[in-house]
Amino acid sequence: MNMRSLKYFFSEASKSLYRNRLLTLVTIANVAICILILGAAVLMTVNANNIIDNLESDVEIVAFIDKEMSDKDTDLLREKIEKIDGVKAVVFISKEEGLKDLQEKLGGKEYDLNSTLEENPLRNSFEIEAVDPHKVPDIAKKIEILNGVYKVNYGKGVVEKLFQVTKWVRIVGIVTIVLLAFGAIFLISTTIRLAIFSRRKEVYLMKLIGASDWFVRMPFFLEGVFLGLTGAIIAVFFLALGYGSLTGQAHKILFLPLVTDIGFLINIYLILLGAGVLLGIFATYFSLSKFLDV
Amino acid sequence: MLVQFYNVSKIYPNGVKALDDISLKIDRGEFIFLMGPSGAGKSSFVKLLFREELPSRGQIFMNSRSIIRMKRSEVPKMRRNIGVVFQDFKLLENKTVAENVAFAMEVVGAPYRNIQKRVPQVIKQVGLEGYENTFPGQLSGGEQQRVGIARALTNEPLMLIADEPTGNLDLNTSLEIMELLYDINRKGTTVIMATHAQQLVKSAHKRVIMLDKGKIVSDSQIQFGEQQI
Repeated sequence: MNMRSLKYFFSEASKSLYRNRLLTLVTIANVAICILILGAAVLMTVNANNIIDNLESDVEIVAFIDKEMSDKDTDLLREKIEKIDGVKAVVFISKEEGLKDLQEKLGGKEYDLNSTLEENPLRNSFEIEAVDPHKVPDIAKKIEILNGVYKVNYGKGVVEKLFQVTKWVRIVGIVTIVLLAFGAIFLISTTIRLAIFSRRKEVYLMKLIGASDWFVRMPFFLEGVFLGLTGAIIAVFFLALGYGSLTGQAHKILFLPLVTDIGFLINIYLILLGAGVLLGIFATYFSLSKFLDV
Repeated sequence: MLVQFYNVSKIYPNGVKALDDISLKIDRGEFIFLMGPSGAGKSSFVKLLFREELPSRGQIFMNSRSIIRMKRSEVPKMRRNIGVVFQDFKLLENKTVAENVAFAMEVVGAPYRNIQKRVPQVIKQVGLEGYENTFPGQLSGGEQQRVGIARALTNEPLMLIADEPTGNLDLNTSLEIMELLYDINRKGTTVIMATHAQQLVKSAHKRVIMLDKGKIVSDSQIQFGEQQI
């Protein structure tokens, strides 16, 4: 490819974009809206995952131990629990600590639980953290049948529901993104098709004169990439602006833990720009293969 | 031998049989008229020559190479040996005369220096000096066809295919275009011209292939015994 060809590709692409400028603007606006929604969906999914991860990591098993158990047996039980597949950490909470926690939770000094209850009604317990929060129900079942375990709590029912909800949030997010991507591809390929249609005489001549396939295709690919990338740049600009102000507000008003890691966000924005370019290439490819078969 | 057709038939998907068992040879440097009524198969014949269409049956050789077995990537190279002139000129309205001619060289990736050198030469050859920066819309029909011929000649093809080149022109202008085509032929380029115009053909004393209903009904070369297939 020499410089003159390169100049030719760029001048043809820009002329065509200018000639159909209204369509160009509409397409860029459409691609921008698509990628904006796509980006918003991605950010929503990312944040939902973040919140879910936070919630999931809170999922913990509490195993209460029989009251009569000796310290030695307690240590043995702890070893047994630690050996269960998927268990990350086991923390022993004595009944005294448990009562202290409870006292704090109830608001402290208005009345003294120790003196009111006379005898500590709580049991020694283990707090067990799982490597994968999804495995919590399974692990809980295995702990339940161990000797010396009085009762296991892990928010049964609630945990399963939470996982059900998070699963659906993920699925809906992915489906939305795929649908929007198809929409953007359809729009760009329509524009490219119209560009080819308005230049069909030229394309026909080029083919008959003996221009190679890639030579005929190159200006259209440039056009497609331009449409995709420009739309993506506009979308990312507004997305970054909007999300920036949202995270600023969120810290003040909401208690949602939004993702604010700037490196991570820049990666997302770059991926969206790349997605714009890819959409342009895909869309052009689809519309070209049918039209250029002379 | 430049072109060879062996038992070529062309049947379109709608069932129309445009060409029926055509065999012929075309030598380098020949001037051939392709005649026949509308629907005789002239256009299909021309389209097979530059491989816009592929035959349903039979073989076509260009420069001893089968254009049917040719890979898709080899087709552009084959077409660079062929110049095509159309009845409706097919000029690009938004380009000047010089740009229209240069277009043919640009799209095959010719170096800038060669384009600069070659374009004035062909414009001179077709007698359009002084019109370089004129747009096709400002030219007469005959002048526009000269641009079409110049564009077909820029890449110095072995063969020029003209599909009803005088179809939209009056007799005097047609005769001028014919003179130009004869001139091109004298310089060594094979010319194949499909036409309805009897009076142009009669005075020419060139090889005439008559098509009717997709068959060759006469080939003056064969009639006079000058060439055997």
